[in-house]
Amino acid sequence: MEKMLEVKNLMVFFENALALNDFSMAVERGEIVGVLGSNSAGKTTLMNTISGLILDMKKKEERRGGERISVLGELKFEGEDILNKKPSERVKKGIVLSRERHPIFRDSDVVENLKIAGYLHKRHEVKERIDLTFKLFPHLQGMKKRKAGLMSGGEQQMLAIGIALVAKPRLLLMDEPLLGLSPMLQADLVRAIKNIRLAGITVLVTEQFARTLLPIIDRGYVIENGMLVFEGSRQELFDNPEVKSAYLGI
Amino acid sequence: MSLLIYGTITSIILALYAAGFSLAYGISGLANFAHGALYILTGYSVWTFLNQIGLPYFLSALLSVIIIGFLGFALYWGLLLRVRGVPLAELIVTFAAGIAILELLMWKGFYGIQYSLPLFVRGGVKLGGVAVDYQRLFVIGTGIVLVVLLYLFVHHTKIGLAFRGMAQNERTALSVGIESDWIGSLSLAAGSALAAVAAVVVLPLGVMESAIGYEVLIYALAVAIIGGLESTPGMILGSFIIGFGQVATAKYLGPKWMIIVPLVAIILVLAVRPSGLFGQFKELEERI
Repeated sequence: MEKMLEVKNLMVFFENALALNDFSMAVERGEIVGVLGSNSAGKTTLMNTISGLILDMKKKEERRGGERISVLGELKFEGEDILNKKPSERVKKGIVLSRERHPIFRDSDVVENLKIAGYLHKRHEVKERIDLTFKLFPHLQGMKKRKAGLMSGGEQQMLAIGIALVAKPRLLLMDEPLLGLSPMLQADLVRAIKNIRLAGITVLVTEQFARTLLPIIDRGYVIENGMLVFEGSRQELFDNPEVKSAYLGI
Repeated sequence: MSLLIYGTITSIILALYAAGFSLAYGISGLANFAHGALYILTGYSVWTFLNQIGLPYFLSALLSVIIIGFLGFALYWGLLLRVRGVPLAELIVTFAAGIAILELLMWKGFYGIQYSLPLFVRGGVKLGGVAVDYQRLFVIGTGIVLVVLLYLFVHHTKIGLAFRGMAQNERTALSVGIESDWIGSLSLAAGSALAAVAAVVVLPLGVMESAIGYEVLIYALAVAIIGGLESTPGMILGSFIIGFGQVATAKYLGPKWMIIVPLVAIILVLAVRPSGLFGQFKELEERI
């Protein structure tokens, strides 16, 4: 199979601190790939680098004379180098990030949140995508007119994923979608991620704890202090004693 | 009765002054201190088209609104881009641009009785025993139509929705492909065009001079500070508080005290509730 996303020797510096150190990974079309790591291991930096948000952060820091952010290495999407492409160009290619801690548009209602996310797409496509979101999260359908800021954490997370889906991803990046949710909601979301794959979308998802996520990923990477420490199939991750103790709590 | 009618008119004029300023700030956090200068520049532009080039009134007004909108857009890409995200620098840049425009107008000799725009329609009516001219009624109408149009624009068009998204959560907006510089410049263009629309309908009520630019900026700031810099209901309420305050002051204390009202209101609000009556942010202390 052709590699959909290829990350090679990626280095990201915040001033002199190394957030990602020589990190390499790949995602193939149709996979669900997991990135496991504890807090501040570099998961969010990885997601921001793949989605291009880091370029925007870099630009703003430069303007205000703040932290110097440098990104080195290779980042390819379907064979094309995208390391210096703007976030919007990457969205057009189909790379969409759902950021951590359910970032939604708080003052807008559910439908408006989803409509805002359809900025780059035609009206009828947006409508189809909104329908898909409601099919994946039937719970949201009953609260179309609810103000997003007033919803529960779980509902906001569903909406955050919906926002990303309306932007028409082919590769969906999910940064800690399970963070802070109850076990029951986590199970719901994991089921939704499976269905997202069935809808033809490749998924790259980060997580701190492997227990809920491990059963549905095809392969996984373990990141510590910005470095790749282990990679393997789901079974290999299950069998690895260190992964077991650090991320499964066994 | 006259208090009610003229209070309403004054309030709507203030809301028109402030609308563009609040819009740009609400969407992209840009405090456009050239707002008042663009307002009065519109008057000069309409006057020039009308009297020097001889275009019809309506066309002169339309062209001026478009030009001023484009100027806001150019201001963003030409001057603001390099300092975007640094509030103090943004403020200095826009204020400097504003002063440059105002002083240029002054230097060109833009003051005096010959610089006035004709009324759209002459005459007036009596409302409950109070004489009101058509131009002022037109101002009320424009205010109401603008509110409705803005609401429709922001909630039902792609750009409007992108404005909403950018105003609420920039990073999430970015991650679905909305570009912040593009939206920022459009919001400044829209804000400037709104200042121009206000100028087109309000300026025929009096003589034009460049000092009005400073006045409009002060009023826009006062309204925005009282209502909270990013809230539309706050902006409208702020306009009505100052508008009615001014008309009442003029009636009971005399017109020379009118300018006190916005200043006292600013001080009171900043002392009691610095984020404004409807504001959610506490950024004001840093900004002004």
